[in-house]
Amino acid sequence: MYRVRLQQFEGPLDLLLFFIRRDELDVYDIPIARIADEFLEYVRVLETIDLDGVGDFLYMAALLINIKARMLLPAQEMDEEGEPIDPRRELVERLLEYVRFKEASQALSERFEDRAGRFTRGMASAERSPSEQEQEELLEHSVFDLISALRRVLTEAPDEPVHTVEPEEYSIEEQSEYVLATLTLGKRQSFSALVQGRTKPFVIATFLAVLELARQGAVALFVKAAEDFYVERALPESSGDGVSGQDPDV
Amino acid sequence: METNLEQETEKVVGLVRPALERVAEALIFAADEPVSARRIAEVFAEVSGEEPPSEAAVEEVVARLNEAYETTERTFRIHAWSGGYRMATIPSVAPYVGALFHEARRRKLSRSLMETLAVIAYRQPATKPEIDHVRGVDSDYALRRLLELGLVDVLGRSDAIGRPLLYGTTKLFLERFGLYTLNDLPNLREVEELLNDPAFNRERARLLMEKGLTSGGAPAAPAEPHSKASDD
Repeated sequence: MYRVRLQQFEGPLDLLLFFIRRDELDVYDIPIARIADEFLEYVRVLETIDLDGVGDFLYMAALLINIKARMLLPAQEMDEEGEPIDPRRELVERLLEYVRFKEASQALSERFEDRAGRFTRGMASAERSPSEQEQEELLEHSVFDLISALRRVLTEAPDEPVHTVEPEEYSIEEQSEYVLATLTLGKRQSFSALVQGRTKPFVIATFLAVLELARQGAVALFVKAAEDFYVERALPESSGDGVSGQDPDV
Repeated sequence: METNLEQETEKVVGLVRPALERVAEALIFAADEPVSARRIAEVFAEVSGEEPPSEAAVEEVVARLNEAYETTERTFRIHAWSGGYRMATIPSVAPYVGALFHEARRRKLSRSLMETLAVIAYRQPATKPEIDHVRGVDSDYALRRLLELGLVDVLGRSDAIGRPLLYGTTKLFLERFGLYTLNDLPNLREVEELLNDPAFNRERARLLMEKGLTSGGAPAAPAEPHSKASDD
């Protein structure tokens, strides 16, 4: 079965930035206790999607808990000059460094796209070279917006269907077909309606199918607040980005 | 006879002498990769038997060529990429040229590839642990793809424990991103500047504005210590 690889979307630092942006937190004064707890909740949801890719998130969760514990200690750690050290400092510096590179990578992306519209001689052979086969796609907006929605739907989904005799298994391919068959062209469908009253395995497989379809550009996703998002069939000629919504990027 | 030949030769040399512009254009047109100003000067001197022109002279004729293309509405320009000159079509004809290569769809690099590439570009030479640390994720896949695409390469090994491989960007990277040298990479923005950007933290920007600290007045020093244990 095909699995969505989290690293291809976003990492633990992105999740922290997502919280900071969502709650409009002061980066120099992150409420670690609260964020550490919520981070763990998200990691639990992420585990249902991609068990292998969750390692980096667990590492970050451990780091957050460590910081939280250090902040609870009565005796402050001191640096060489006898100044108290904020246990969050290292993480904040790392986070800000990451933001700088994220921004730089966006600037580079723009350069790349501008340059890609200028064709040189010898380009034809370069395009045919086997090393450049697949088309890379990206989700412009935070995949965590979608995870928030998945989290909510999962808490509502019945754990065990009463009448099931065999364990249910859904493949992403099957669910992709289900999603495409359910969507009518030009009409947005909310994700929670797509999986209304279904079991957890069904919800998760459908969620992954939607992500994959968005990556392929077959559907467009519209993020609405944190509790739900909408899926719409993409028009054949639009090869654009998977997700659009009102969520501005950092 | 001899004088005739000399006269003939002089005529030809006379034609060739002002032709650095034309030679430069021909070389840049015919080449499949960026041609450096120095190479153009060398070739010109070798064939014409004259003193090699300065690189500044080559730069000047290239600028003149571009002006001529512009005034005559040609669909290509000469760009300074990856240490040399390269002819490329202008963006407004991109849809047509793109169709010729069965590449109607815009080619994009995924976010993870772009981030990894940015870290390598600015930090080079960089080891994989360094890249992983900045991004907070394992960059194995992204790094492999970038190597396959020829945008990064192994530069050597670090002296650190385990002698990890050092990665850096390639000449192809410069060309694909329209950069002449690595010095032309856009500057990494400073942290204070980013924090002042309303897009990063609207709330903080608002607070700063209220305190009249808007332009460049953000404290650069990391947070003051907080003795508070719980945050809510």
